[in-house]
Amino acid sequence: MLKQKMSFVLFLTVAIGAIVLLSACSQDEEQQSESNDTLTVWTMSQDLEKFVTAYEEETGVTVDVQSFPWDNAHEKLLTAVASGEGPDVLQIGSTWVAEFGEAGTFLDLSDHIGDYENLDLNNFYEEAVASAQYKDQTVGIPWYVDTRVLYYRTDILAEVGYPDGPETWDDVLDASRQLADRGEGQYGIEFPRTDENFPFMLAWSQGWEYNEAEGAANFGKSEFKESVELYNTFFEEELSQSNDGKELYQAFSDGSKPMYFSGPWEIDQLRDQIPELDGKWDLKVMPKTETNDSMIGGAHWSIFHNSDNVDQALDFINWMSDPETQVDWYETRNELPSNLQAWEDPILAKDDKVNTFGKQLENTRALPVIPEFNQLSEELINYLERIYRGGEDVDTVLEEYQEEAARILNK
Amino acid sequence: MNSFKMKITPFLFILPAVILLTIFTFLPIIISLVISFTDMDLVGLGNLSSVQFVGVENFVRLFQDEVFLQSMGNTFFYVVIGVPLAVSTSFIIALALSNVSNWMSNTFRVIFYMPSITNIVAIAVVWGFLYNEEYGLFNYILSLVNIDAVPWLNDILIAKISLIILAVWKSNGVSMLIFLAAIQSIPKTYYEAAEIDGANWWHKLTKITIPSVSFATFFVIVTTLIGWLQFFEEPFVMTEGGPLNGTNSIALFIYQEGFQYNEFGYGAAASFVLFVIVIIATAIQFKLRKKENL
Repeated sequence: MLKQKMSFVLFLTVAIGAIVLLSACSQDEEQQSESNDTLTVWTMSQDLEKFVTAYEEETGVTVDVQSFPWDNAHEKLLTAVASGEGPDVLQIGSTWVAEFGEAGTFLDLSDHIGDYENLDLNNFYEEAVASAQYKDQTVGIPWYVDTRVLYYRTDILAEVGYPDGPETWDDVLDASRQLADRGEGQYGIEFPRTDENFPFMLAWSQGWEYNEAEGAANFGKSEFKESVELYNTFFEEELSQSNDGKELYQAFSDGSKPMYFSGPWEIDQLRDQIPELDGKWDLKVMPKTETNDSMIGGAHWSIFHNSDNVDQALDFINWMSDPETQVDWYETRNELPSNLQAWEDPILAKDDKVNTFGKQLENTRALPVIPEFNQLSEELINYLERIYRGGEDVDTVLEEYQEEAARILNK
Repeated sequence: MNSFKMKITPFLFILPAVILLTIFTFLPIIISLVISFTDMDLVGLGNLSSVQFVGVENFVRLFQDEVFLQSMGNTFFYVVIGVPLAVSTSFIIALALSNVSNWMSNTFRVIFYMPSITNIVAIAVVWGFLYNEEYGLFNYILSLVNIDAVPWLNDILIAKISLIILAVWKSNGVSMLIFLAAIQSIPKTYYEAAEIDGANWWHKLTKITIPSVSFATFFVIVTTLIGWLQFFEEPFVMTEGGPLNGTNSIALFIYQEGFQYNEFGYGAAASFVLFVIVIIATAIQFKLRKKENL
């Protein structure tokens, strides 16, 4: 009996405690949003929280950084749009601009950027700025940029006659064929099967261009078909593995997959994780047929449409765009500065691997800034799989894809 | 006053549950039903006035959508193979545990329950390695007896079966506990009486154990079936519906349409179809159970 009473009392205490704690938390939140000294920032970079202490010391403003992994960020932003409750400043992926811009998620910064010296759009990579424009509105300020280049094993590529890496897609094909002939389990290259932006880069290299006015007809152009056939060749001839297979770093270090495409974050990871491979790998700008344009990716800073702290938010973005801050950020996370002036800093200039990225950044293009792009590109991956895995006919699948694209675009 | 109090008391007791159910279950169902008749997308989310009613268009499109039909087929495949497998293996494990010594039973109960409380992402990482075609443990073991590498997650049919094996392993724990509790509550006197009459273990199992746990069996079958109809986590973390949509399920399809493509109306329509399927499947079971009892 006593035991029962005791447990009841215990339960009550815990319950009341929980309620008090919860209400205290919610009060805290209310106070935060009311006060103007606090800026809420959503980011996908964990290190930002420590990084902004410099800004806090400088200005006396409290920056409340909340970070999410990239995988959850899209959903998190969806919820914010639905509820209308967002942060003041948020980091967005460059491919989200149109999708969320269409829904009116971001504040148009066009009228504000003149007031801040670092926000002059001429300071940034032109293509990065283009990827942050939606329907004549500037919805984001480029924070860091990112693009894709070819990573290759210098020693292995030298054996097949390409010590400086392949220049053109024909070189890549030739090298891959020789490399795949080395035997069972040996491949030439690792094609990114799940990267939904890659097929577009491949199409660009064949001279394809996306013209917004033409809509789905873009996917009926002969250059697009050529790129799909090229994509398929790599799997058909087993130059690239169509199954998951070995972990990529292992395959890269044992030489069975001596080429792959990736972004700037890989430099440090390769140096850290396979130090014994040092000096045996290098980077090369994207292979060329007509062009060697790579995509401009990265992240932008945006302001949520109903933020009541716009001036402070702009000040924060201004601080993050400062060339010096950008170099600091590069040192923290190895993410490439969007600010052109930051590239002159010796820390970036002396690293030849990073320089390859600098070189590639001169030849980049923004992916089509249309709200339907996400769905178009993800569907393309599914249709391509039907060709290289399902063995379906290229023309038939492309025709069906064109129909699907028309449906998506005319929604 | 006292009689009023008497009348109102039971309602007060169920009130919290009713409120929670209304807010978190009934309301969302109704809202999603309404959304399924609209062309709600991300723009509509920001600006409700742009949302239009499109009638049954979403449903018509759904049943012409090959991806959805394939997902539906996959889901039935999962249910038809997975449910009997999950129920029977958990029953067998429970039976085995009830027949061993106490400390063994306790230890293995924990071991079998462990997968149910392990984070699905951690499971995905570990099983991803086990299923790896090149250096996975399963293919390594097979190679010892000279069997060729099996494409565990890269073949349409085999990938489905691989996911079923994973899901059965993961879900066994809960059902096993329910069966174990039911088995342990059977009075020992039944078995003693049966032994005096000369019954062997098979008779005892089929004439005493199985009939005695029939209610637990019913409960386990209903909850397992509902769970398998909503099969989501395993393909989501292991294959993302691939290869060639071969492991996609209805629940994952809903997620893809709703949260990746932002087609909330279309996704809601798919979720309503799933809702109806679950209701029908459960209703049939209740009907069958009633017949059995008569």
